[in-house]
Amino acid sequence: MPTQSAQLDSPRPTTDAQLAARAVSAAKVYGEGDAAVHALRGVTVDFPTSRFTAIMGPSGSGKSTLMQCIAGLDRLTSGQAYIGDTDISGLSKQELTLLRRDRLGFIFQQYNLLPSLTAKENILLPLTLAGKHPDEAWLHEVVKTVGLTGRIDNLPSQLSGGQQQRVAVARALLPRPELIFADEPTGALDTSTGQEILSFMRRAVDERGQTIVMVTHDPHAASYADEVLFLEDGQIVDRMDSPTAERVLDRMKRFEG
Amino acid sequence: MLQIVLSSVRHNRGRYISTLLAIITGVAFFSATGIVSDRVTGALEGDAAREYRGVDLAIVPADEAGSLGDTGRTLYLDGSTIRKLAGLPGVSATAGVLTGPASFLDAKGKRFASKATGRLWVDDDELNPLTIDAGRAPTAPTEIAVDRGLAESQHLKLGQQVTVATAAGPQQSTIVGTTSFGSSDAIDEAGTISIPRSRAFTALSDGREQYEAMYLRGSAAQSALVQEAKTAVPSGFKAQTGAAFVADQAESAGELGRYIKRALQAFAILALLVGAFVIYNTFNVIIAQRMRELAVLSAIGATPKQLGRMLRAEGLVVGLVGSITGVLIAIAVTTIAIAGLNAAGVDVPGSGLALNTTNTLGAILLGTSITLLSMLAPARRAGRIEPIEAVRSAAVEPSHVSRRRALIALVLGAVGVLGFLAGSSVEIVGAAAVLLFIAPIVGSPNLVMASTRLFRPLLSRFGLEGRLAVDNVARSPRRTATTANALYVGVFLVTLVTVAGTNLRDFTVEQINKIGSADYVLTSTGATLQPQLLDRYRAIDGVRQVVGFRRSAVTIDGKASALSSGDMKAVGEVANLKTRAGSITGLKDGEIALNPRADHPRVGSTVKVVAQDGTTEELRVGAVLDPESLDTAQIGSVVTPATLERLAGPGGDTVAFLALDDGAGTATNTKIDDLAADRPDVVATEGNSLGRLIGDIFDFMIKAVNGLLMMSVVVALIGIINTLSLSILERRRELGLLRIVGMVDPLVQRMIRLEAVLIAFIGTLTGVGVGLLTGWGAIFAITRLTDANVAFSIPIGLVGVVVVTGAVLGVLASILPARRSTKASVLDALAS
Repeated sequence: MPTQSAQLDSPRPTTDAQLAARAVSAAKVYGEGDAAVHALRGVTVDFPTSRFTAIMGPSGSGKSTLMQCIAGLDRLTSGQAYIGDTDISGLSKQELTLLRRDRLGFIFQQYNLLPSLTAKENILLPLTLAGKHPDEAWLHEVVKTVGLTGRIDNLPSQLSGGQQQRVAVARALLPRPELIFADEPTGALDTSTGQEILSFMRRAVDERGQTIVMVTHDPHAASYADEVLFLEDGQIVDRMDSPTAERVLDRMKRFEG
Repeated sequence: MLQIVLSSVRHNRGRYISTLLAIITGVAFFSATGIVSDRVTGALEGDAAREYRGVDLAIVPADEAGSLGDTGRTLYLDGSTIRKLAGLPGVSATAGVLTGPASFLDAKGKRFASKATGRLWVDDDELNPLTIDAGRAPTAPTEIAVDRGLAESQHLKLGQQVTVATAAGPQQSTIVGTTSFGSSDAIDEAGTISIPRSRAFTALSDGREQYEAMYLRGSAAQSALVQEAKTAVPSGFKAQTGAAFVADQAESAGELGRYIKRALQAFAILALLVGAFVIYNTFNVIIAQRMRELAVLSAIGATPKQLGRMLRAEGLVVGLVGSITGVLIAIAVTTIAIAGLNAAGVDVPGSGLALNTTNTLGAILLGTSITLLSMLAPARRAGRIEPIEAVRSAAVEPSHVSRRRALIALVLGAVGVLGFLAGSSVEIVGAAAVLLFIAPIVGSPNLVMASTRLFRPLLSRFGLEGRLAVDNVARSPRRTATTANALYVGVFLVTLVTVAGTNLRDFTVEQINKIGSADYVLTSTGATLQPQLLDRYRAIDGVRQVVGFRRSAVTIDGKASALSSGDMKAVGEVANLKTRAGSITGLKDGEIALNPRADHPRVGSTVKVVAQDGTTEELRVGAVLDPESLDTAQIGSVVTPATLERLAGPGGDTVAFLALDDGAGTATNTKIDDLAADRPDVVATEGNSLGRLIGDIFDFMIKAVNGLLMMSVVVALIGIINTLSLSILERRRELGLLRIVGMVDPLVQRMIRLEAVLIAFIGTLTGVGVGLLTGWGAIFAITRLTDANVAFSIPIGLVGVVVVTGAVLGVLASILPARRSTKASVLDALAS
């Protein structure tokens, strides 16, 4: 197992593709002494631009921790995380916040919309916080893409779960971030709505060259990605190009077995 | 059952903190007030009882003198009376009381300890209320004793040579002893200088042997002594048994303490009532957050009654814990404070902690019952929960605000205003004020919604965080309303007291100043104003006229009063002296120009005047003075010089009125005050000082009341902190999201600050608005119901201070919640 892991953790032979993000010997430990939990045990991984990468693994494998540490939501215990060429391990809280605002997008399982803002205001939130004005044509297109035309003046409470998640996707897409992180984006949705959301994400990668990193435990969701990384016990144990739901499911079954 | 209750309280400890704080603050204040004032009161009463225990018979003035406007009425017992009393069978010792102004002069002739009292040293140990602490009693004319406090504060030592200034002028003396009065330093407020009998009459009463009161000691029964003494007691005095006298002394010694205690505890109760809003809010939120748990209990068979009882028991536990903690804190704080004061050289009378059961149990009972009362409604609501709530998602407080509330509030307010406009009695106007006060509380959720709508455009200009702040405040209007109400109560009262107080003050001062009077009044206590002295005042630049006259204390028909005589024509020129009937200048020998009194004697009737030494004369009322002049109080009644001489013997002027040139400046005032410095018996009072004094009293009352109302404002502050903290707890997901998508921490904190300021503003502005309206209503009603015409003006500066204070309080209240809002990890947004 260790040998296999070492081999798989080595940087993927990327040719001229640029990297949107990467982690080098990323380790994360919660707690101390006997109670210490090693969530990440020295993960080295690249996320090339214009790719849709899925991170999978059983519960407690560290997949969410990996994403959170690369996204600057949490700090690594040791190792480095980069967004583009920026080493985020050395950034202050404020610098991290500004980096997230200006360069990253987020989609969460629980939609996470502000209840008092309309759909449109929620979509514009990152731009508003940055003091920027939206490109109206682009806004129109994003709204159209996610199928929210005519509903953008509604409050979240007046929207269905699927519609709320579309708002969240639009919010992530609108600022054209270097990288979008999605954490179980379809976890709270029914199958067909989930598929729609995943299609938007897929199209954003194909048509706009958007880079997306998605954490999921759903093999079907993972099948929309270009590549799937499998984590177990804080380490990357496998990867799969051009995944299909069946192959991912088979791989996942091996964890349980 | 109790197990569930206790574990529930433990589990919700964090949430109960604000409730506890609110209870503790109020109870601790209540209890500390009780402890300190009981200790002081007890000590003062004890002192009086102990130090006067040797007195078997006391001859004291028949009625209380010394109230405002009763100048010059002090009656004296003369030497012959005291000897007559001493000769009564069964009397073994006597002691006369004589006091007068006394102070010290330093090497440069400057006065210090200028408010001290010179006191005739009582030689009989058992009758002397003072005790020698160090040294010995003064006997020779050049010896004095000073009280312990004076010795300490003025750094006086035994054997030290000092210059004592009295009515007789400066005199070199030696300090031979220090004294104390029970557990207090001195019997007199500003210190006691004890003067031996060999010098006292010269120094304190212009050489005459006279006394203000007398204590006697004897072998016979006290009641028998009183019976015997009755014949010898002159007009204006009464004989009291020692027991009655001691009771009176203890009563008056403790009176102020008891009064202050009642007043302070009233404010503590108010703070607790404001705390009730905080407690009510907290319980509501706690119950809302535990809906699921309660629904589960309900589903498995807990009846509404049981649920209600369980929650009330929780309230009881929290109330008891808070109240007992409050009492313990009060004990700790008062102990430390008293120790600190003692260490700093401030003497706090009494010893130990006055921990009586009334204080302790009363405070605990008060805190607990207010807690219980505040949670009755939330508990009842929780009892009615449907089991289905257990399977529903998060229980959300209804944010629906009923219009009926607004309507009821408007009707209440309108009836209140109507009461001010048309109420025919004080009671109706009072009820109107209460209605007006209650109306905003009833309609407070609507008021919150209206305010948020009003403030939205303004706060939106701050940016997204301002906009979100308004939304958050409006999210649960009822909770915001209760929070703001706690502040409203305090601000309303502050505004009302300030507005009504300043307007009444201005009116009263204006009325008093309108009466007009002499510019200055010179009074000598116990001596005379010699012509040479008056000439020196005449010589002061800016003094236009100086008119001296003689005033003497007498009883008129048994009541202590004053008689004046002199050049009444000149007095009339300087002072604003008027008559209702007859004329002063036409007064004949044997006639009196009477100061009017309750039974309205007419011109031509006769009154019986008794002088100090018992000389009695029937005088015919020749004129009746008009009391609508301040100077009438200074003069008393007027007789001719010959009449006064027959009654009181020969004597010089004791009072003088000064008139100043119109343009006389402060230099004149300073010179007048400086001249008085050489003669401690001479007091120079500005004629319009009464107006100023009353203005000062008003100002002091307004400030004191407002200062104490701050207690309730502090409790309201706890409420804001509480509400914000809870709302942050509920919104941690949103806050996390905002920070993930790029809201930097300072902006998040600013949002919380704006929320706090907005809540504070809603409470403050409502309080100021309704307070102003009620203040206006009260003034309007006074003007309408009485013949006084009180002008109403808004003290804009003060109102501004209140509003700014409200905003500052909001910012203060937001410090902790704002810090907490960004302390949590942004990952909270992802937690489900």
